[in-house]
Amino acid sequence: MSLVAHPGLNASLATGGWGRAFTIATRFVFVLVGIAIAVQTLIVVEARPQDLITGVHGMADLIRRAMPPDFSKLPAAVWPTLQTVDIALFGTFVGIIIAVPLALLAAANMTPSRYAYYAARAIIGFTRAVPDLVWALLFVTAVGLGPFPGGLALGVHSVGMLGRLFAETIEQMDMAPIHALQLTGARRIQVFSHGIIPSILPALLGISLYRLDENIRSSLVLGFVGAGGIGFELLTAMNLFQYQEVSLLLIIIFVIVLGAERLSATLRERLA
Amino acid sequence: MLRVRGLSQRYPNGKLALTDFSLTVEAGELVVVLGGNGSGKTTLLRCVTRTVKPTAGEIWLGETNLCALEGESLRRARLELAMIWQHASLVGRSTVLANVASGALGRHSTLRTVLAGMPTSELESARGHLTEVGLADLAEQRAGTLSGGQAQRVAIARALAQRPRVILADEPVASLDPEAAEEIMRLLQRLAASERIAVLCVLHQVELAYTYADRVIGIRAGRLAFDLPRSDVSRETVHRLYLPEAA
Repeated sequence: MSLVAHPGLNASLATGGWGRAFTIATRFVFVLVGIAIAVQTLIVVEARPQDLITGVHGMADLIRRAMPPDFSKLPAAVWPTLQTVDIALFGTFVGIIIAVPLALLAAANMTPSRYAYYAARAIIGFTRAVPDLVWALLFVTAVGLGPFPGGLALGVHSVGMLGRLFAETIEQMDMAPIHALQLTGARRIQVFSHGIIPSILPALLGISLYRLDENIRSSLVLGFVGAGGIGFELLTAMNLFQYQEVSLLLIIIFVIVLGAERLSATLRERLA
Repeated sequence: MLRVRGLSQRYPNGKLALTDFSLTVEAGELVVVLGGNGSGKTTLLRCVTRTVKPTAGEIWLGETNLCALEGESLRRARLELAMIWQHASLVGRSTVLANVASGALGRHSTLRTVLAGMPTSELESARGHLTEVGLADLAEQRAGTLSGGQAQRVAIARALAQRPRVILADEPVASLDPEAAEEIMRLLQRLAASERIAVLCVLHQVELAYTYADRVIGIRAGRLAFDLPRSDVSRETVHRLYLPEAA
């Protein structure tokens, strides 16, 4: 049997003999390992499917008590809603303001020195590696509980993603039109405003909108741990067993998250 | 209009790219530079635009010696010197009109062009330049959507917006199909004559030089090989330009 010209996975299957036996054994091991990984998750998460089935009426009871949503609490929910959205907006603005200069340093084609490049990359990586919850705890120790540390935490954590993607956008920019403008005798600022900005601004805005969408979801979670806003209202209502208020708040959260996602996606499509 | 005198360029690695090179391009004249790869054509253009500083020699643009200028005075001098490349080098996300008008940026203060704007008068003349290159109806389109030939004509319109006295073209038709290439060469020829612009054009297509050049300059190993009116250029002369060094 010829052994030539069968590249890829099935090459050894076609050869017969020991090669074939080995390949089959390898696949068998992969399947066993996959099953083993799945089974150990059941043990570690203490999965008890029977409890889920016998206890399902408890969930049904909770949902029944949450119906109908208490719309009389709607006016009172306006301010926390605004707070949640604004924590995210504030965080995104702070993130952009810090990320733009860092991205210029962290873009290989713009950076003034290799040290600045590595320093900027390290800062960007660090802000991303530390979760926003940890940043929030850190800022709480400085400025106390409330929306302000939440916004700061989102801002700093956003730098990680914004800085990296901004830098990549700048690195991928076509430099030919920039050089062309320089040679027309345009001033530096004019090259920046008429060459660089139009080339990269749509991409930067798109990235920022995407980040805003993520920050709104994070803002809800941060509310839970004390940043205020709709997340905090939800926690309070649950602790007080006000389930009809809980369901109203969940509807609001659903609308905010979905709205932010759609708005961000629509705007980004427009920019593309 | 453009006079190059005794130009030499030695790169830091010691390679002598140009040796005692001189040429003149008069207003209204289209001069084609021919030469093999590495013969110094591109170095010549890079010196004239002062992207690099020549080791020796003078480059006179009208009454100004570009080699004596630096910084702000060099920027001002460059206004009269337009450049066209193999690729159009347009800002793809901006409109065709904005790209054309950007050629005039250097004539206006930073304040008048703030927030990516342009003075209205420049937009009007930019439309005029687009009409000159036959693309008036594409003014509002994004530059990134143009074909190669259209983009190159927009690049020429941007060069016109500079109101240059000299246009330098570095293989402006190298990436175009033959028909678009002829069109670009016709356009350069017409602009040279009608606008009294001195056009210096580096080409690889010898046939185009026979058709469109007023004068043909041969460059070989960084030295002037010949400088002749089109009618005096024989195929033999041009052929010798591309022979290996030893021949």
